[in-house]
Amino acid sequence: MTPKAFAASILLDNRITVCVGCGGVGKTTVAASLALEAARRGRRALVLTIDPARRLADALGVEALGNQPQQLSRATLEALGVPAEGELSALMLDMKRTFDDLVARFAESEESRRSILENPIYQHASEALAGSVEYSAMEKVYEVWKNGDYDLIVVDTPPAQHALDFLDAPQRLIEFLESRIVQILIHPAMAAGRFGFRIFQQGTRRVLGLIERVSGISFLEDISEFLLAFEGMSAGFRQRALQVRSLLTGPQSRFVLVTGPSDESVLQANQFRRRLEGQGIELTGVLANRVCLWPDGPVPDEIEASPEDLQTLARALAEANGSDLPSEAAARAAVDAARGYAARVRRDARATRELREMMLSQGSFWGEIPEQSLDVHDLNGLLRIARAIFGEEEFSRGDRV
Amino acid sequence: MDRPPPPAPAPSSAPTPLLDRRLVIVTGKGGTGKTTIAAALALAASRAGKRVLAAETGPDEHLARLLAPGSPPVGYLGRELLPGLRVMRIDPFEALSEYLGLQIGAPRLVRRMLSNRAFHQLMAASPGWRELITLGKLWHLEQMTDGQGRPSWDLIVVDAPATGHGVAFLNVPSVVASAVRSGPLRRHSQAVEDLLKDPARTLLLPVTLPEELPTRETTELVKRLRDEAGIAIDRVVVNCIVPQPFPTGLAELDAALARLSPQLRCGELPSAGALTHCASFLRGRHDLSLTHIDLVGELTGLPLVHLPFLATGVTGPDTLEILSRGLVAAEAYAR
Repeated sequence: MTPKAFAASILLDNRITVCVGCGGVGKTTVAASLALEAARRGRRALVLTIDPARRLADALGVEALGNQPQQLSRATLEALGVPAEGELSALMLDMKRTFDDLVARFAESEESRRSILENPIYQHASEALAGSVEYSAMEKVYEVWKNGDYDLIVVDTPPAQHALDFLDAPQRLIEFLESRIVQILIHPAMAAGRFGFRIFQQGTRRVLGLIERVSGISFLEDISEFLLAFEGMSAGFRQRALQVRSLLTGPQSRFVLVTGPSDESVLQANQFRRRLEGQGIELTGVLANRVCLWPDGPVPDEIEASPEDLQTLARALAEANGSDLPSEAAARAAVDAARGYAARVRRDARATRELREMMLSQGSFWGEIPEQSLDVHDLNGLLRIARAIFGEEEFSRGDRV
Repeated sequence: MDRPPPPAPAPSSAPTPLLDRRLVIVTGKGGTGKTTIAAALALAASRAGKRVLAAETGPDEHLARLLAPGSPPVGYLGRELLPGLRVMRIDPFEALSEYLGLQIGAPRLVRRMLSNRAFHQLMAASPGWRELITLGKLWHLEQMTDGQGRPSWDLIVVDAPATGHGVAFLNVPSVVASAVRSGPLRRHSQAVEDLLKDPARTLLLPVTLPEELPTRETTELVKRLRDEAGIAIDRVVVNCIVPQPFPTGLAELDAALARLSPQLRCGELPSAGALTHCASFLRGRHDLSLTHIDLVGELTGLPLVHLPFLATGVTGPDTLEILSRGLVAAEAYAR
């Protein structure tokens, strides 16, 4: 199998593809390209994005779209080579709304729903509660997946300080809800009687009391009220969180790491990879984005330019451009430009070598997307990226994997 | 993108030079090289004879690796990596432990409580305090003095969270100060906010790339933090600028090369097609740089510090030095 056919066979079969990686590496663009390519192969594809560039959002038609998938028009799809049975939709995540929907779904009553949504702790916490942003993204994936409207869902993960927040989030939420301290806050009397850790409790009370006194916020009261309201729904929440996690770590999901070509990016990508592996998740592949590649074959170690060769080039330039061009200076400048570009190619090759060799040696996918001379934030840009990964073949006439 | 109102006329007095501030907070979109610029600034200040503290705020250590490749982790206590240059990582739990220890006066009780798993979980899920305690620690470091009453640090350089998180990060003290009416927390938040909003002491240094997304985020950042939050920003660092690739009089070299047959080979030289690819790539990136340099200057109304793309990458103090010099040399321009 050629590398490009391999790419199609593992990146585009009917599953969930989670694109992970650090901020600024082009994850959103790559995710959208994967979905576009699946559509071009006659699939019903959805890309779930977090914060697309404005022009890309416009191109995908996802400006302020109410947290629901929006399908690209048939005319647009045709122009991109998507056959009649193919579909491409995009969804821009509204995190706060997803979390609110979740509360609404699991709340026991209208009253408890309202008391949660209006609680000051919730209003802060639903955005800042550790990992809730990431959790919302994964929750939305689960919802869309369960509806079964798409063959392939490509997920663009939020930029996170802790790279794996989106994966840990459900677990952390459960641990938090089940933690003893939450139980103490909800049922102080019961906790005092049953649990034998009075010292901890005294210490905690003292500190929480202090926080309350110095802050002037009725911290304990608000948080107890919030947790009490939440408690009724924690069973539903817990079950849902477990389902989300098992969807993400199960066979129907795969992880693709997107990285930039610099030493810094590759280093962070490696940290990311190790943490994923620590969670028992193996990467399906790595896509190195914005790599400078030499146009024909391997990059030369050095670009020699003998006076004779420069003369030949100068003559050819003069012949093609007329006498206005200072052809000898132009020949030298062309060689300088080639040397400058070759230095970039070598730098990227050096920075990515180790990761590339590791991925290839374990039979994983390694793909390189060439750096473009222009910013890529429109549909044609996505098409160029898709071609770089999957090759130039025309798939619109029934030629599918 | 919304156009800002025309920039205010320049103040009559020259802005404080970069290295004469007490606290420089470096931020930018992910991938713009903000950590590298923070390291370069710390290096520049230590070369200028300042006592410098460089502080990381993320979960991983990167500054130490840039300033002294191969050095072991610096941790919360930090380590002097170059003469006069100390690097530390502000871990919010360590900072909380230190703060509560000082406030409650029972460090051992605080330590025991913080090491309790349940308490840890509660804090892990609670919003806002990490930002506040990290900034509080920076304030504390800024206030510290040596035996003679001089500040312990001439300059503190902070590698702040990336833009999205960075805006929230810097807004926390003013949120707390406005929500809390009295008590130590109020006083401390107010002190932190006063430091952040004192243009004589604190500067926010945004780092951007000459590309579309970073330009947009930087414009947004300046609007939110300078115009709305009142934190001083007096210049923007534009990193990785691709210089004019062709000599004067040959501005259209890429087009001239494109007129050759791509297969043409002149002896040992790369094919004409390859030469064209190289030239038009560099030309395209250069044009993109120019467009976005103009755009970010126009949208923010701020002077720009131009730093070049380094084909070698930034691997240690040698390459960092090039950026350090660029940052300091830019003083003349920024003034």
